[in-house]
Amino acid sequence: MRTMIRSLAMSMLLTLGLAAGTSAMAQEKTLYIFNWSQYMDPEIIEAFEQKHDVKIVRNFYNSLPEMFSKLRAGGDSQYDIIVPSNYFVPRLIETGLVQKLDHSKIPNLDNLHPKFRDPSFDPGNQYSAAFQWGTTGLIYNKETLGEHSDTWGIMFDPKANTKYPFAMIGDGQVTMGMACAYLGFGYRCTDREQWKKAAKLVLETKKRENFSGFNDGTPQLQQIAQGVIHAGMSYNGDYVFFKSEDPEAYEDIGFSIPKEGAEIWVDNMMIPANAPNPDLAHTFINYILDAEVGAQLSNWTYYSSPNKAALPMLDEVLQQPPSTPTDAELKRSHFTPSLSGEDLQVFQQLWTEVQSR
Amino acid sequence: MKRSRLNRSLQVFWYLALLFLYAPLAIVVTFSFNSTNTYAKFSGFSLRWYEKLLENEIILNAFYNSAVLAITSSALATVFGTALGYGIYRYRHLQLGWLIWIIYLPIVMPDIVYGISQMTFFVGVHQLTGFLQPDLGTMIIAHISFQVPFVALLIYSRLVQMDPLLFEATQDLYARPWQRAWYFVLPTLRAALISAFFLSFTLSIDDFVISFFTAGPESTTLPIFIWSAIKKGITPEINAISTLLIVTVFTAAAISFAIQRARPAQSRSSQ
Amino acid sequence: MSERVAQGFSIRREWGRTTHLLGTIGPGVIWIVLFLVLPSLYLISVAFMTNGPYGLPQMPLTLQSFRELAGFGFLGWSPGNLYTLLRSFWQTLIATGLVILIAYPLAYYISTQPSNRRALMLLIVVVPSWTNQVIRTFGWMNLMAPDTPLSDTAAVFGLIPPQLGLFPSSFAVIVGLVYNFLPFMVLPLYAAFEKMDHDIVAAANDLYATPVRVFRHAVLPQTLPGLMAGTVLVSIPAFGMYVIPELLGGGKSMMLGNLVARQFAEASNWPLGAAAALIMILATLGGLLILRRIGRKLGGGKEVVL
Repeated sequence: MRTMIRSLAMSMLLTLGLAAGTSAMAQEKTLYIFNWSQYMDPEIIEAFEQKHDVKIVRNFYNSLPEMFSKLRAGGDSQYDIIVPSNYFVPRLIETGLVQKLDHSKIPNLDNLHPKFRDPSFDPGNQYSAAFQWGTTGLIYNKETLGEHSDTWGIMFDPKANTKYPFAMIGDGQVTMGMACAYLGFGYRCTDREQWKKAAKLVLETKKRENFSGFNDGTPQLQQIAQGVIHAGMSYNGDYVFFKSEDPEAYEDIGFSIPKEGAEIWVDNMMIPANAPNPDLAHTFINYILDAEVGAQLSNWTYYSSPNKAALPMLDEVLQQPPSTPTDAELKRSHFTPSLSGEDLQVFQQLWTEVQSR
Repeated sequence: MKRSRLNRSLQVFWYLALLFLYAPLAIVVTFSFNSTNTYAKFSGFSLRWYEKLLENEIILNAFYNSAVLAITSSALATVFGTALGYGIYRYRHLQLGWLIWIIYLPIVMPDIVYGISQMTFFVGVHQLTGFLQPDLGTMIIAHISFQVPFVALLIYSRLVQMDPLLFEATQDLYARPWQRAWYFVLPTLRAALISAFFLSFTLSIDDFVISFFTAGPESTTLPIFIWSAIKKGITPEINAISTLLIVTVFTAAAISFAIQRARPAQSRSSQ
Repeated sequence: MSERVAQGFSIRREWGRTTHLLGTIGPGVIWIVLFLVLPSLYLISVAFMTNGPYGLPQMPLTLQSFRELAGFGFLGWSPGNLYTLLRSFWQTLIATGLVILIAYPLAYYISTQPSNRRALMLLIVVVPSWTNQVIRTFGWMNLMAPDTPLSDTAAVFGLIPPQLGLFPSSFAVIVGLVYNFLPFMVLPLYAAFEKMDHDIVAAANDLYATPVRVFRHAVLPQTLPGLMAGTVLVSIPAFGMYVIPELLGGGKSMMLGNLVARQFAEASNWPLGAAAALIMILATLGGLLILRRIGRKLGGGKEVVL
């Protein structure tokens, strides 16, 4: 027993010594990136490190609210680049957690497709530059639920599917948006009466025996192949990725943008207000917006590129649906609205209500 | 007769408990050898994820940070916590009841409040003084602060079990407090100390929320990395690192067990 | 003269005791006060502030958050938070009870083994907890998914419809909780058993006929401090737990820990989160008070819980 304690102590001291050693040598210039996981080709990182003789440290977040609270608690002085989705951009700007982009340092901004050049959530790209974009649609098991399912009724209509388990997305705004769309109010509904009806629908759906649970989009893709669920909500790019990774397991899994409407989203690069290396951050944003790098990024993530100059260099699978939706599909896909103040509180109370019952 | 039947059934129970404890881990280990990135089924044996793992600096770094954090904080917390538990036991007649509420605070405070408070505090102090920049150091501070009460709790529960007269006797036997501690208190507490260290280590190596907030960009630990990674579902690399962790711990245990066996005289001290 | 010497001795002794007291209790308490009590004062005060447009605290001071916590929202009164509270209580109770039932025989069995084997066995119990909580939970998700031996067996007995799995469900949540907290009970119980006087148990074995009475009169009194410590270690974290309910329960039913965490994240209402945390801290401390009282009663007036 004493030997055990002694050897524990020894190994402890050893690791401490090592730690002291490594921290002393890290003095070169470093770029800190806070991003979603599995969202960046490591080769791009390496290439940038070599080209500019810097070190890149990457941290990841699980959800936007989590990233937001970390930034709020003082994290805005820790990171140089963050990659929030469209509906969190206004929130970050208005709370002063991000800084304006210096367009003179980002000439490649002109590579962006006109659609992404002047977005509604950040007019004139004053604070943000698009990184990747995609859609959130319906995933379903073709064998059990039909070859061509293109309605949210598969979840919200109690008669359409009484037997097979299904999941909804844990992000309240997305799931409520889908319920709104199914009820005919449109994905972007913000009217309180409409919200109440949508919340009621989600609550009723939640109580059904074959409702499996609230989960994130990508884990649902794993669950559907496993048979845990037969229908769910997920992202186009991850669907294409899993399908190419294991064609056999995903042969019977379909992805559609339901006729009632669905979500389109853009993730954007932004620079926190007190970033340690804002200059290097600008250089990095410019690098990502390069045509070739943009194509390389998309070919790795399986999401479509907002970079117009990169489009011709995308893999074939990315040039067709669902990675690149058809015009008709795009027309019925909408951005998630950015809420604030009383609207945000009313919505959250409703959603808390749905979750606590 | 009665006794041996009890022992037999306890033994069966032990093995059932092992099955319960290790069944989920068996799944983790199995899928770390899966040849594809999906969990639909086991598609074939492959070492692909271990190769990828060894190239993945982020995971290896996180693994290293976790180890340093857990070992350092548990060791220090065991020291502080043992002293605390002992002190409260020794001076329980001094009306120190109010102290209990301070000691319990770390146990009852919701993790997220804990983490945000400490992060705000560390960042504030850093801006004012230049000390306490969020990194591994602040994480160690944070972890110790929640481990200490758990250790004290365990040590105290062990001390209460003892005969108070023993203390009186040692007071005469060993005059100086440190002699008393070294020759009497610590040997008596051995089992509780080991339990306390394991407990602290477990708390530290598994903590996510408090770590997430008190970490700096370069001190990401495994739980932080894994939590952010499950956004995209658990990748086989995470299974691979977990497998390596299990193997490492057992190898270390086997080695120290072997050393112990080689010197059986030592292990039979004061029981 | 001799009086002064005696006085000097007693002063010295008093002085020695004070330093001893400070030396033992001091570091731990100072650490907690400096690095936790102080930092958390600000966040607790947030509970009395107004919620800003993006959930951040603002002046003026108000009790609005506590009203909201009681269920009064924009849409009238709702019992949602009450459900959450009751659910958390219920879940804690079941999980702690089951953990005690499993941990007792395990800790006892380990303590009866040769001394050089005990540390290893303890390690075997603890090691699964060193692989990440998410990873372990993930293992259970796979074990209890549809079309697995466990789920199929349950379906054969008619416990679940055949196309569904054992996961996600509240059953799965309980399994996950028991799994997660087992070591926290085994460790203190083992520390208690290790010092138990086995002669008393043997004597009790002759004295009382049934194992239940042996346990009640010989084992329980001796291991009570360990049991109470373990109960604190298990029940309090279980009360605030939310990762396991989220993953194994399919995020269908909100827990108290969840309610608090959500306010600082997606629900964007720091004042409400702080208020909920404050109530939760008070409720847990109240629970502790009760546990200590139970401990004192069972322990014959001795303060068995720290």
